[in-house]
Amino acid sequence: MSFDHVFSLTVSGITVGMIYALIALGYTMVYGVLELINFAHGEVFTVGGYIAATTLIWAGIDTTTPLWVKIGYFALAIVLSVSLTAFLGWLIERVAYRPLRGSSRIIALLSAIGVSLILQNSLILIYGPEPIIMPTSMVPSGFVEPFGVRIRTLQFVIIGASIVLMGILTYIVKSTRIGKAMRATSQDMEAAEMMGIDTNRTISFTFVIGSGLAAIGGFLVAMYYGSLQYDTGFLYGLKAFTAAVLGGIGNIPGAVVGSLILGLAEVWGVGLELGLLAWLFVGGLAIGLYFQLVRAPKARVGHISDEARTPEYEHKIAGLYRLAPFTSMRTILGERKDALADVSARHAMRLFSGNVVLAVFAVMFFMNGDVQFASKWQHAISFAVLMAILMFRPSGILGDNIQEKV
Amino acid sequence: MSDVVLDFRSATKSFGGLKAVDGLSFQVYQGEILSLIGPNGSGKTTTFNLITGLYEPDSGDILLKGESIAGLRPDQIHRKGISRTFQLLRLFSNMTVLENVMVGTHSHTSAGIFSSALRLPKMRREEVRATAKAKEILDMFPGRFSGGRQSQPAYSLSYANRRRLEIARALASDPSLLLLDEPVAGMNPAETREVMEQIKDLRDRGYTILMIEHDMNVIMGASDRVIAMDHGVKIAEGDPTTVANDPAVVEAYLGRRGADAAS
Amino acid sequence: MANVFSGMGQRLRQAPRWTFSLAALVLAITFPLLEQAGLMDTLWLRLGTRTLVYVLLALGLNLVLGETGLLHLGYVAFFAVGAYTTAILSSPRLGYHWNFWAIMGLAIAVSSLFGFVVGFPTLRLRGDYLAIVTLAFGEITRITFNNWESVTNGPGGIPGIYPPVIFGWLVDKPIEFYYLLLIAVVLVVIVLTNIKNSRIGRAWNALREDEIAANHAGVRSMGMKMLAVVISSGIAGLAGAIFAYYQQFINPTYFIFMQSVIVVCMVVLGGMGSIPGAIAGAVVLDMTPEVIRQVFTNWLPSALGPDFLPQVQTAMQTDFDRYRMLLFGIIIVLMVIFRPEGLLPNALWRREVHEEDPREAEHTRQRLFDFEEGHKDLEV
Repeated sequence: MSFDHVFSLTVSGITVGMIYALIALGYTMVYGVLELINFAHGEVFTVGGYIAATTLIWAGIDTTTPLWVKIGYFALAIVLSVSLTAFLGWLIERVAYRPLRGSSRIIALLSAIGVSLILQNSLILIYGPEPIIMPTSMVPSGFVEPFGVRIRTLQFVIIGASIVLMGILTYIVKSTRIGKAMRATSQDMEAAEMMGIDTNRTISFTFVIGSGLAAIGGFLVAMYYGSLQYDTGFLYGLKAFTAAVLGGIGNIPGAVVGSLILGLAEVWGVGLELGLLAWLFVGGLAIGLYFQLVRAPKARVGHISDEARTPEYEHKIAGLYRLAPFTSMRTILGERKDALADVSARHAMRLFSGNVVLAVFAVMFFMNGDVQFASKWQHAISFAVLMAILMFRPSGILGDNIQEKV
Repeated sequence: MSDVVLDFRSATKSFGGLKAVDGLSFQVYQGEILSLIGPNGSGKTTTFNLITGLYEPDSGDILLKGESIAGLRPDQIHRKGISRTFQLLRLFSNMTVLENVMVGTHSHTSAGIFSSALRLPKMRREEVRATAKAKEILDMFPGRFSGGRQSQPAYSLSYANRRRLEIARALASDPSLLLLDEPVAGMNPAETREVMEQIKDLRDRGYTILMIEHDMNVIMGASDRVIAMDHGVKIAEGDPTTVANDPAVVEAYLGRRGADAAS
Repeated sequence: MANVFSGMGQRLRQAPRWTFSLAALVLAITFPLLEQAGLMDTLWLRLGTRTLVYVLLALGLNLVLGETGLLHLGYVAFFAVGAYTTAILSSPRLGYHWNFWAIMGLAIAVSSLFGFVVGFPTLRLRGDYLAIVTLAFGEITRITFNNWESVTNGPGGIPGIYPPVIFGWLVDKPIEFYYLLLIAVVLVVIVLTNIKNSRIGRAWNALREDEIAANHAGVRSMGMKMLAVVISSGIAGLAGAIFAYYQQFINPTYFIFMQSVIVVCMVVLGGMGSIPGAIAGAVVLDMTPEVIRQVFTNWLPSALGPDFLPQVQTAMQTDFDRYRMLLFGIIIVLMVIFRPEGLLPNALWRREVHEEDPREAEHTRQRLFDFEEGHKDLEV
């Protein structure tokens, strides 16, 4: 377990995370304005990649083509893929989601699943079930060696391009007129409408931006792995959705943070030996214990009303967190004398059970210290992350407390 | 006016930094109609939600007939004898009128999954009883839910009848405390008068009622006592006329300058 | 002509519901006899058997999606658990050969337990989140079956599942499986109809219509949702067990996410919350594509000569599965937009658009008015 290995894994993790982020942003923005899980977003991403790859294949370049022609085709591929995919995003919203606005979430989600089926199978009908291969001469193939570690140049290109795109997105959302309209719509659609904002246009714009980002994500994935298949987007979409939830859905910086964490977790999870992962879990446990023993009791003691505030009572509430399994069980099972103690006891138990899960995993991993996760479990990692985050903290890392909404 | 049905003991609920209900205390006595009034955002509906278990109080306690119910789930609280209606109608739209009321008897029936799956005699008897109970409740609204209307879906009812149906559903469990959240909202004067009489009739049948209301005619005409709230605290309590003339109440509604002008 | 048809429709609508059930049952019973009499290809009997498996799945999912309003996208995982339980306990793979009834009981119990374990942490989540989490769970289940080679033989699957012996009768012909499944379907329909018309069914419907109002009417969300999930997983387990016996071979590719989606399509097409709808949805969606394929590759060429639209014939033979999924996607989108109540809707179901009562819209104005009235009183 050398530094080189960990460093190159980390760069790969960030690369994968950045690609997730480009897709996750689309999920999170659409969720922000419409509270809709755009299930077809993963397929939009695939379509973007396919269009770019098709353009480059059609261009028919080989190693003899001069560089400026290559760059020209490259730009053409980006322009075509972004504009066509953005149009597709707009079309999906117009046809499949807008007529359903105001009906239940399940109905809208069903429509999204339908769209996703249509896109996937149209891709198969047009291109066949085999993967589409990127022309290798178009993919930057060099290596750089920071700190003496060989890293593909392409990884830095992906990371750099993603950061630039996120910068542009931040500028659009923060400083332009339409960005302000987006933020207003996500706050309160009715109020935004009354303030004279054309919410339909704003929603369409959100879909266009999200799909454009996903298209670039598709292009980058096709370059990174060299090929793309009709169902690539299904997995990427799910993982990006996981990342969006992890960071707090509806929250744009959250989507990026969540994606980076997920990307690193996946790459480390498969690439590192379990002994090293166990230390990461120990780190998580330390943070969890800090919350259980220091932060949460302090916050809860602040809720005590002035007339009830006595040192013993404060001590009792804080004690619920410190000795969660004993005192909480007694409070939960015993008579309900006091709402604050009861609520605190349940909260303490939740934190405690989360820490127990972390500890159990850490011990399990230490016991198999010199083994690695087989890469065939790679997808299961992100699904497990998704379930864990929704069970313990549905609002995500940077999200507002949307537990009630969830 | 002696037995305390509900004892709300300095409960507090805050959302973020905002204390929606701030150390509020009051009692509801057996067989009375108590009205909760106050400007929008004064914490009335939050109080209801605390009583029915939709929210847990951050501190303080809520007792139903001496037993703490704070922190229980809504269905447990319903089983203990509190049922409610909602400010914005919450009916089971795609179920029939009768079924809507029969859902209200859920706490009082017990047929398990096996007796239901096999239609055992015990379950059938219980079903007959629940149907009879629901019909009896619907008959308390003479002419509104008669005959064929009971098997119509709830969405087909008129607005006023939907409001009545919500009350009927709440009554199906024989609650010891009935919470009505703006029972006459959106009704015309004739309907308002009818519902008001109905509420008084319910009191005469022995129900205890706590209601939120904005309609001054209903407050003055039906309630035995009134509590006025503002910013999550109680600002006045007493019989309707006293509260209506209380300077703090006038100020809460109209602001200081308005109150000065009124006095 | 139009009058005749509308009159017929009128009379059909007035006929009591049980006549339709009886007609459907008679049709289902006589269907395999056509094959026995040599009037029909065995292909159709095999298709009918597969359809009945889908009918069981659609009935089970309808309980969760239609009656209780929970979108479960990992439903095929319970089907897989039932099928793998059977395959492991009745094949040379690990050398077990359990009795049919024991395996049935265990398959149902294990998949119900699995439903409980999955439901416990996830059922607190709101609709669309629940959908995604159950999807993730379904995928994890499939990945586990794929990777747990010591027991499931991984992607290779489990071959050679022994046919069941029921009361001394060796069941191994398609027609026998057909009737076995038909009995299961009838039993499940009876049980589900009974539960639907009980306090539990009403509680489920109340949760679907308005969860908060249902809680305030005494319905416990967690308990009732859990009950629905456990029962429906049990039905999926039952279907999986019979399916494994019938196929005699299973591997993880039978249990991909698309299978869950297909079952969801069946429920949506038939009409959420309607038992006849679920059955009709399964029959239509599973049979129609095959009928279309037969029409173009078999019947029309034999009637009009073999050179009838050769491109269509090849397309039907090679890419048919993709056209089928594309068609499913189009069906879902069209159905939820234009007819969300389905083909055979629950008697009361209506389109989920908000019917605005003008007086509701006036609510705010009325309150302002009331407030002014109150103001007069306050001035006194």
